[in-house]
Amino acid sequence: MRLHPERGLGLSLRLVLALAVLVFFLFPIYWLAIIAFKTPEEIFAYPPVWVPENIQFANFLVLFKDGDAETVFNSLFIAGVSTVFAMLLGTMCAYSIARYRTGGNLFSDWIISNRMIPPIVIVFPVFLLFVTLGLVDTYTGLILLYTAFNLPYVIWMMKGYVQDVPLELEEAALVDGLNRWQVFVKVVLPMVRGGLFATAVFTFVFAWNEFIFALILTRNEVTTFPVQVTHYFGGQSNFWAKIAAMSMLGTVPIFIVVAFLQRYLVRGISLGAVKG
Amino acid sequence: MDRRQFVIGSGALAGLSAVGWPRLANAQAAQKAVEAAQAFRGSEVTVVWEAGLQALDPLNFSGPMWEEATGIKVNIVEVPTSEMFTKILQEHRAGTGAYDALNVVPAWMPDLVRAGALEPLDSYVEKYGYGPELETIAPVYRDNQMKVDGTIYGLPDDGDVLVLYYRTDVLNDPALQSEFKAEMGYDLPVPPTTWKEFDDVGAFITEWSDGKIYGAGFMRESTYGALMFQERFRNEGGRFFDPDTMKATINSDVGVKVFTDWVAENKWMPKGVQTWGFVENLAAFLAGDTAMTVSWPPYGRWAAGYGTDTEALSWVPKSTIGGKVGYAMTPGGHPQLALGFALGVSSSSRNKEAAYLFCQWLNSAEISLQRVQLPYALRDPFRDSHFASEEYKSRWPEAPQYLQALQDGAVNGLLDLSIIQTDRYEEVIRQSVTRLWSGEDPKAILDDAAAQWDSLTERIGLEKQKAAYASWASNPAAYPA
Amino acid sequence: MTQADPFPLSAEAGARPVRRRPRGTGFKYWMILPAVAVILLIGLFPVIYTAMKSVQNITMFDQDFSYNGFIHYKTLLNDTRFWKALAHTLIFVAVALPLELLLGLAMAYLFLDRLPGRPIFVTLLVLPVLVSPIVAGATWRLLLDNRYGPINQIIGWITGTEQTLLWSVDPNLVYPAIILAEVWQWTPFMFLLLWAALQNVDQSQMEAAELDGASWWRTFRLVVLPSIWPVVAIAVLIRALDLFRLFDVVWALTKGGPGTMTETISIYAYVQGFQQFETSYTAAMAFMVIIILAVTVTIVLRKIEIDR
Repeated sequence: MRLHPERGLGLSLRLVLALAVLVFFLFPIYWLAIIAFKTPEEIFAYPPVWVPENIQFANFLVLFKDGDAETVFNSLFIAGVSTVFAMLLGTMCAYSIARYRTGGNLFSDWIISNRMIPPIVIVFPVFLLFVTLGLVDTYTGLILLYTAFNLPYVIWMMKGYVQDVPLELEEAALVDGLNRWQVFVKVVLPMVRGGLFATAVFTFVFAWNEFIFALILTRNEVTTFPVQVTHYFGGQSNFWAKIAAMSMLGTVPIFIVVAFLQRYLVRGISLGAVKG
Repeated sequence: MDRRQFVIGSGALAGLSAVGWPRLANAQAAQKAVEAAQAFRGSEVTVVWEAGLQALDPLNFSGPMWEEATGIKVNIVEVPTSEMFTKILQEHRAGTGAYDALNVVPAWMPDLVRAGALEPLDSYVEKYGYGPELETIAPVYRDNQMKVDGTIYGLPDDGDVLVLYYRTDVLNDPALQSEFKAEMGYDLPVPPTTWKEFDDVGAFITEWSDGKIYGAGFMRESTYGALMFQERFRNEGGRFFDPDTMKATINSDVGVKVFTDWVAENKWMPKGVQTWGFVENLAAFLAGDTAMTVSWPPYGRWAAGYGTDTEALSWVPKSTIGGKVGYAMTPGGHPQLALGFALGVSSSSRNKEAAYLFCQWLNSAEISLQRVQLPYALRDPFRDSHFASEEYKSRWPEAPQYLQALQDGAVNGLLDLSIIQTDRYEEVIRQSVTRLWSGEDPKAILDDAAAQWDSLTERIGLEKQKAAYASWASNPAAYPA
Repeated sequence: MTQADPFPLSAEAGARPVRRRPRGTGFKYWMILPAVAVILLIGLFPVIYTAMKSVQNITMFDQDFSYNGFIHYKTLLNDTRFWKALAHTLIFVAVALPLELLLGLAMAYLFLDRLPGRPIFVTLLVLPVLVSPIVAGATWRLLLDNRYGPINQIIGWITGTEQTLLWSVDPNLVYPAIILAEVWQWTPFMFLLLWAALQNVDQSQMEAAELDGASWWRTFRLVVLPSIWPVVAIAVLIRALDLFRLFDVVWALTKGGPGTMTETISIYAYVQGFQQFETSYTAAMAFMVIIILAVTVTIVLRKIEIDR
């Protein structure tokens, strides 16, 4: 088509290229997956085994037997609840900024500047704060933290979507006698639904995958899956079978979630960014 | 007694009879702990344990057993080795009392005591009559991994010592031996007792077998490399500091020689040995790819195939060398008592008595003998009674020699360096090892390391550190006699 | 703030303007209040706290809360390891970011036109972004293992000789290894953003340019680039900030080694703060990083806004 250089490459050539690109990006995931199914002999075989002879689930079963697999549910709960909170608070704030320019540029800049602080910088004070509040190793603690950490992103993205909502709609609703809260809930939120989902996916993914905060702020009650993965590093050995199996347990759910929300994701993040 | 209590009570009795006590007069410590612990029935003890295999002992074995006998629930917090010190100290700073009992590496104990994280245990030991059994822990562990400045802070619970493993079938091969003698001019030593001999034999085997079997493989990854540097450096005559000025002396000729020899050795070891850790090295040895290696005690058990059928050990590659492994002291004759664990009580615990009693029970002669024989666990013999156990000796044909090697190691072993903020000094060595593998000049690396040690000493306080070092170095197990 | 009210019409023409206006003012603050409260607690408090601690002298054993002046900042200025860590971090930003951007753009073009199974391609290409960075790091460590990993094997097939490249040890290979892992994980992110942006480019302008006989490069520069620029700017900003805090992948692959060759700011801060418990020194370092970042980003943001 027109965007393409000189109508460019033939279809078949592009298809080959596309496949090559796909292989590059999927091969590491494939390799991780097969290690999870390999026997120890196959993991430590030389030359490396590309296709395991027998698919066996022992590496996963151990994780369920020892309860390590429960960390996936911790991740699910923490990421899920914090995403809901971040979306709710963030969208409210974004609406206020988009429609009323609340606080002006300075406020917007300050909000987004919070997204820039490297986690390692604030994790120690947060640890001490959580100690005072009794929030170390609790769901509440991590949910609060991830909500806060995702808010700037949500506000930034949702601001763009809200600006897209035609003003006339809201005006009409106001004239109809709805108050501003009702306008927000009944008119604006449905209009930005696509943006909400798209933003929520990334918010969720961030909370799901976050490592440093979880490493320092969990003990054993609410350990999330990335922290659990690192439990198999070092010590006497790197337990590659467990690392791979645990990684798969933590990665496959997110693949599934995103597969369901795919249409929002691809259209959504890009739109948000375009309008941002 | 209502019915529920009765059920628990009989459960406890069943537990008691299952482990066979009261049995002997000297089995008292475990029994005393259980009896005293009845007062804390229904409470909970949270214990920090090294993640992975180590934790399988309290998770699958000792934890449930203790709970049945005392009604005290054991809650295990698994923490990777590299995070343990950090988490213990963080928790102490926070003072939340989240941890009751702790596994601590003995070399950390002085630092943890200085930070106030460990509870002094003398009064507990006396109160619960543990003194006599504590005394029967192998001297090197008892004398060095229990007290800080004369006060008991930990119960030594793991006889970690590096062991030289060698393939008896390869080294005793007559063809190899005669060719070795013809070329080198002396009898092939089985096993090598100095690093010079070790290098001769290793390089020769690699060449002789045309790479079918390598002379040796090592854990060269920096965590292990740093420990092995400590051992070899001292066996070759090195000293860490000048005791008068507290200037670092790791950049001495000895240090440079160790690093230079390492680089030379890599040439006849398997390619990529620089990245090997515990498992890579284990896999190569069990697969029969390497003729010699140095590592911790579990290698010996697993090489013999002892207990590797258990599900927990499914990740260990199957041994192809059962019955063909000899055990010896590392070249130089003074293996490092690398890492190890002692059981301690957290000073911020809210259940100290119960935490201590659990530790005493775990550490007692009777229970510890069972724990060091768990095939999947990593606790290694640390009591004279373990080394002498007929039961243990019957576990596999070469088990008696194995236990003898561990005991010899314990007698001649060298302690990990332990001064103020030891880990920071060790971190410098770890980084030096990675720089060595990246191809930098040994002398330059070690000069740099010595300079970093000096600035650390200055930051910590020269006089304070000098005193700490003098106290450590005065120990007969600090340097080879 | 009258000007800021987006509903001037309703205010003037509505039935109850007097009541609505003040309520609207309160409303806009109520809307931001919860978010601001949370951000203040988790975002602002730590920064202030960090600033406070940085002028005290807290170490592993000394809980010295007295004012200690700016001594840590002075030490920091002379701490070559800190500045090297900063330099390493900037190298990662400077190399990985353009790679991700250019590869992402190339991929966006590749998938712009109709292609059999395109939706499936796009869905599958998103997957690396969804993998936890610590898992991604571990995965690449497995892939790059000199013996049990497939990468050396593949290179061996190509070169015809067995390869034992030590990706996590060899000083010539550690940067490529980390950057490879980074590029693998985040190029799809760039791709997605740019792909969608390209689809939004005004087709009539494109056609006009084409009819004028403009070269592809000229069309790209004059029509496409201005159209996708906001997306590019934001994508670059997001990724630059993420790369600046790079931790997980490096931690899993090299732990900052060999020596401190690949040590990033985040790793150095972790080592100082959580392994060596130099609390105050780490606080000073953290505050310094915040200042550096704040200044840079403010300048960049202003610049982007002006360009727009």
